[in-house]
Amino acid sequence: MAQALTQTIYRDPALFYWILFPITVVMILTGILRHYGTVLLQAAPKKEDIKGRRETRSLLRGITLRNNAPVLSRSSFQARKNYIIPAYQSGQFLKDPDAKGQPPPNPMTDPAGMEQMMGMMKGNMATMIPQTLIMSWINSFFSGFIIMKLPFPLTIRFKSMLQSGVATRDLDVRWVSSLSWYFLNLFGLQSIFTFILGNDNAANQMAAQMAQMNPGAGAGGLFAPGQDPDKMFQNEAENLEVLEHWTVLDGVEERLLDDLDIV
Amino acid sequence: MTSSLLHPPAHLPPSVALHLSQQAPLLLQNHSTSKLPISIPFLSTSETPETWAILENLLLSCLRTGDDKSARLCVEKLTERFGEENDRVMGLQGLFEEAVAENDADLEELMAEYDAILKENPTNMPIAKRRIALLRSTGKLEEATVALVAFLDSSPTDAEAWAELADLYLSQGLFSQTIYCLEEVLLIVPNAWNIHARLGEVIYMSAQVSGESGIEKLLVDSIRRFCRSIELCDDYLRGFYGLKLTTGRLLSLLPQNFKPASTVINPAAGEPAPPTLAYVQRLNEIATAKLAEIVRRSNAGEKGWDGYEQAEIIAARALLDKDVAKVEK
Amino acid sequence: MIDEKDLAIHPLVPESIQHNNLTLSQLRNLSASLFGVAAGILGLESYPGFIFYLVGTLLVSALVYLFPAKREPKRYFQGGLWELIEKDVLNGLMSFVLTWTLFFGLVSA
Repeated sequence: MAQALTQTIYRDPALFYWILFPITVVMILTGILRHYGTVLLQAAPKKEDIKGRRETRSLLRGITLRNNAPVLSRSSFQARKNYIIPAYQSGQFLKDPDAKGQPPPNPMTDPAGMEQMMGMMKGNMATMIPQTLIMSWINSFFSGFIIMKLPFPLTIRFKSMLQSGVATRDLDVRWVSSLSWYFLNLFGLQSIFTFILGNDNAANQMAAQMAQMNPGAGAGGLFAPGQDPDKMFQNEAENLEVLEHWTVLDGVEERLLDDLDIV
Repeated sequence: MTSSLLHPPAHLPPSVALHLSQQAPLLLQNHSTSKLPISIPFLSTSETPETWAILENLLLSCLRTGDDKSARLCVEKLTERFGEENDRVMGLQGLFEEAVAENDADLEELMAEYDAILKENPTNMPIAKRRIALLRSTGKLEEATVALVAFLDSSPTDAEAWAELADLYLSQGLFSQTIYCLEEVLLIVPNAWNIHARLGEVIYMSAQVSGESGIEKLLVDSIRRFCRSIELCDDYLRGFYGLKLTTGRLLSLLPQNFKPASTVINPAAGEPAPPTLAYVQRLNEIATAKLAEIVRRSNAGEKGWDGYEQAEIIAARALLDKDVAKVEK
Repeated sequence: MIDEKDLAIHPLVPESIQHNNLTLSQLRNLSASLFGVAAGILGLESYPGFIFYLVGTLLVSALVYLFPAKREPKRYFQGGLWELIEKDVLNGLMSFVLTWTLFFGLVSA
């Protein structure tokens, strides 16, 4: 089995100084640049009018009531339910009560929706552009030769990607060109950015991709554009209606005595 | 000591506030020297959120201790950074103006100014709050209440405003409204033990004035609130104080052959059954013991027990002494 | 439902939880990078390298469990012991591979 012999290739150590380090440094700097770029591009939070704020916060109140219901005694919870459910159902908190029952505005024409889409576009651009730029830079400067050996084996499928431009059929997949160093950096530098820029940095594209997967999960977007607020109020009313109430005050004396007696 | 500037100084004892405001000139000076033309994130730390939190709290401390000059500097710095139009800065400016106002005419003028700002931009929350506070401090309780209710209608998830409304109602002796407001605060911050204790206190107060009929139920509610607050915060003096007071009152009310569940509360309403007499007695004993321990340790200045406010310690001791006197009789 | 009740009765402060998580993830990332350096210098290849990483992270978890968390991980992390062990292991793996490759290349070149 001649194949079992480990292939060795003698490389110029200068490859490291002139390829690996430049790529790493450029990646780190781009990450930092992207972070500050995104901060710069972020639109200032839009001023909401007082009706809109009332609408959002009233809904929020229902949600907090549902989440924190245990702090209330049964009768107070019932009293609140009796007030808030009819108010929700009659659309008392809506921004404009006349619009109740009308279909929601088309998100493509709604200016608020457009703005949000623009914000998403900007975020996407900020990740896409540097990525493509660096990739093409690496491809044009450093392709066509092997620079390093990975310490772990890969399947043959990766050969065409990681050895692009190296037309050697029998070369072990573990020998890779500079593009793979770029990929390693792309994923491995996340933690470095966390150290440099703090936890919620914009350079962290993993997080950015996660956020794109489930929009609206973040704070602030209680009302996604195109969603009918009246529907949400109705939903919340229903949720409150079926909520099974219990209270933390139940048996608090027993718990307290148990706790204190042990001490 | 700078770290305590990071927390709002609302409940600092006067001596600490004074100490903080005495650092003001030094802090303000430090702050102004390290200004680079462009802030480089790794080199200069002049722009952390903490800087501004410190400035804001410094402003409050200075106003409390009457150091108007430093306070003005703080306001100016904040304005310089965030601009005249920033809601929060406007609120702080208003606060400063109120503090240095000489007479009622000045305050009237400020009031008109607030009204004008709010007419232009009704979503300016800090100014709306300042306006309500000003109404209250000038004695127009009714108007303040109305304004606060309107404010809460448009922003019903503001715990601070609910707490303020509760305080307003309490000062007018409207207990059920106060209780409602405090419950609303608890819905927003469910684990605030001080609010739990406060609610207990208010329920106790309302029990004092209510007739014979519902008093047991109110007292039981109150006891539960105090229990919860102690559960959330060990060695909470106010909680134990209230617990001792309420359980003592309940014990004095109940005949020794008290039978719970059937007499006081209608179980069909689904209310939790009241604690048995033994529990109430036990709670009372524990509260007494704990209070005594807190007073003793605090007076001895033991490490970790010196954070209590002096006035509360004195009140607790008075309560304990009264108890002792009663027993001796 | 029981858990929810328990959590409401004995609440955890979200800010503190967040801080603990942040500290843990920084520790993970840093230790992963250092393990990568070590693995690269030792010249470990393929499986031994990954096993080295796993053993290393387990060791770190054990140390965290014993010292800062004082054997009571439930007090400091929402998910208890399991969260302490598995959190950020995959993220750390990325940093590990990066530094591993780099130092492997540097040493064996």
